[in-house]
Amino acid sequence: MTKNAYALLLACGAAFVGCASFPDAESVRTHAEQSVAEAYPGMPPALTQRAVQDAEQRLCSKGPGETLTSEEAARVVAASRTAIKYPAGNKLSGDWKVGEKLVSNGVGMRVRGGRVEGAKQNGALCINCHALDPAEVNVGNLGPSLTAYGRQRGNSEPVVKYTYEKIYNAWTYFPCSNMPRLGHNGFLTPEQIAHVVAYLVDPQSPVNRP
Amino acid sequence: MRGRSLIIAAMFIAPALAGQNDTDGLSVGRQMLAEDNPGELWVQRGERLFFEKRGPKAASLERCDLGLGPGRVDGAYAQLPRYFADTGQVQDLESRLLTCMVELQGLKREAIVADRFGTLDKDSDMEALVSFVGSKSNGLKMNVPLAHAKEREAFKTGEYLFYRRSGPLDFSCATCHTDEGKRIRLQELPNMTDPKQMQMVVSTGWPAYRGTQASVRTMQHRLYDCNWQMRLPDLGYASDMSVALTSYLNRSGNGGVIQLPGVRR
Repeated sequence: MTKNAYALLLACGAAFVGCASFPDAESVRTHAEQSVAEAYPGMPPALTQRAVQDAEQRLCSKGPGETLTSEEAARVVAASRTAIKYPAGNKLSGDWKVGEKLVSNGVGMRVRGGRVEGAKQNGALCINCHALDPAEVNVGNLGPSLTAYGRQRGNSEPVVKYTYEKIYNAWTYFPCSNMPRLGHNGFLTPEQIAHVVAYLVDPQSPVNRP
Repeated sequence: MRGRSLIIAAMFIAPALAGQNDTDGLSVGRQMLAEDNPGELWVQRGERLFFEKRGPKAASLERCDLGLGPGRVDGAYAQLPRYFADTGQVQDLESRLLTCMVELQGLKREAIVADRFGTLDKDSDMEALVSFVGSKSNGLKMNVPLAHAKEREAFKTGEYLFYRRSGPLDFSCATCHTDEGKRIRLQELPNMTDPKQMQMVVSTGWPAYRGTQASVRTMQHRLYDCNWQMRLPDLGYASDMSVALTSYLNRSGNGGVIQLPGVRR
């Protein structure tokens, strides 16, 4: 019996109300997936398809009391690693000045009235969750601060490769991390990711200025 | 409306209106706004709309059963969403008002849905009605029932959906709302696994007046907006998914003392 089921039993004992008739996990899943399939009436199939989970998203949707097993984590990592694509010429670090514009850009792929917002290119969304340039205060904290990223790690080939792969698909190194799989999902192109890598590792980048 | 324009101007002078923590320097501004909440204008309009004979059937909403019997508005919001035998569904306030407006007043469902979110040019009747009905539970505690099997199903479905990741950014509700002290840029995010924070979220908004939008917004709008940020398509108004999520969230806020409409950024 799972920890969850014990918690439910305890809750039932305390409340005495119809707990035994909470629906089982499988029927909840069926009902919930049905509700997702019907949640976007009138939307084109290309957009409703976004709400359909891939295998890794399913594994990474653990509820309270559920944990990712090491076997599941290994599956997420394996599927992530094999699908990584690299930019033309394998140039994993691009132009930090282009990256600087991308990291504070939060647009791309939003849908209003059945239409996708008309952005020329998607932003990289970084500062929504990470501190980067110490001079920028309008930053989120869902992810760790990356200020001085390159100063702390250098810009050697292994660091650059790791950084590229981490942004392309965070689940390669941290299975089911909160961070979106920006390259894997096609939100950013390999070239855009390389520019963000440069912004993180280049000694001239504001991220690394002393 | 000159009075409203002045109030709206004031909102922009105090840009950060809502937060989870009242120890920071912005709490004074929030307190002032809460004491002079523009949402009251929506409450008053909603009250007038509720008792006005409207639609092809020239009926008011006085016979609308919001869960406590026809015409009982006092305390109704505190117990929503809940199961309704006549529709055979669990309904939140908005889907239930939709049912009443269609059945009792003969209004067109499509027209009500098209008018669900107000703009600067046109206020929404639904946002006004929700503000009025919500305010009629002020001072009571949230007390969403799990007595009916369908209510328990909606609650568990909502919980499943809260943790379900999808879309091009791999987000679920839980991505942003299960940790303490988190922000997107400078916007504070409530931790929805903390009962105290859930009580605050549920019992003081939604509905809430949003300064950045110069309108009262409802729970359905909040969910629509989160969906939008998650890069999912337009969330169907009063869809089963939206009601199930609301069942989960509102029930998780049980015990919170209702003060509606709230004030948010």
